Amino acid sequence: MIDMATLATIVLMAGVTYLTRIGGYVMLRNRVLGARATAVMEAAPGCVLISVIAPAFVSRNPADLLALAITFIAATRLSMLPTVLIGVASAGMLRHLMG
Amino acid sequence: MSVSEATSSEAIDDGSGSEFRRGVMSCVPVLLGTIPYALVLGAQATQKGLSAVELPLMTGLNFAGGSEFAAIQLWTSPPHIALIVAITFLVNSRHFLMGAALAPFLEHLPQRKTFAALFFLCDESWALGLADARQRASAGIAPAFSLRYYMGAALAMYLAWVGFTAAGALLGPMLGDVQHYGFDMAFPAVFLVLMRGMWKGMKAAWPWLVSLVVAALVYLFIPGAWYVAAGAVSGLLAAWLMAGDA
Repeated sequence: MIDMATLATIVLMAGVTYLTRIGGYVMLRNRVLGARATAVMEAAPGCVLISVIAPAFVSRNPADLLALAITFIAATRLSMLPTVLIGVASAGMLRHLMG
Repeated sequence: MSVSEATSSEAIDDGSGSEFRRGVMSCVPVLLGTIPYALVLGAQATQKGLSAVELPLMTGLNFAGGSEFAAIQLWTSPPHIALIVAITFLVNSRHFLMGAALAPFLEHLPQRKTFAALFFLCDESWALGLADARQRASAGIAPAFSLRYYMGAALAMYLAWVGFTAAGALLGPMLGDVQHYGFDMAFPAVFLVLMRGMWKGMKAAWPWLVSLVVAALVYLFIPGAWYVAAGAVSGLLAAWLMAGDA
């Protein structure tokens, strides 16, 4: 049970998404970047990651902000798995306790 | 396992099989945050009228969670094709930057493999693969980018995403609101640890702060998914301006 309009939407979504995935590589492969462009590309991963999670920093829920602060501190000193566990547990508990 | 643990000496010996396994293992903490979201997306999609065949078709062909959440929010019957495709492109435009950042590490690979590997590029597989490549580069390991490590992380994400979105579509209304349990905090946790691995001092981090502030403000005051693109581009602009001063 696949609807034709649904199928068309899905295939086009997949097409534009794949273009975004190969686009940056196709434009930059085998290029030697100047100092300024290199500095920009060095900063790029962090800029993308922090932008994706930016909404968490301006949550209206105090429990979320407190949990994010705890997660942030954990992330500066612990490795991946304990940080994720502390983040999930603190968010779950604080939301429960603080309503 | 952290990226730094993942690149510790005994893990990087040679073995292609162990490289793949190392990638899968590094993805495990990420899956903790991904699986609840996959279930939620599946449940939401069935409420909008997508079938348990159509949804995994979307998540398997498109494989970009943010754009799929946006598409489901906007879904009507029949769907507004142009609107949904445009929003998909906008939400996923960050992939241009991600692919560009990865490009220098992919030069040793045959193009056929590269174009196949890029199909599996998502925030998590990219961040893990790039962080690993940078650590291997600074440790003097060549080639810095381990394709098998990347594919281990990427396929673990892919199978979990497609499998659990399908499960969500089948289970549907049985699922409550997972947001209340705190699983969404897994993403900030993962991304913050990865950023710590990329840390090169306060000066190099200024563009990140610019990205954070701009993305947060755009998120608060402009509806839609513009905040990722606005935040990322502002940070890059800051990096470009700062590099001019140096």
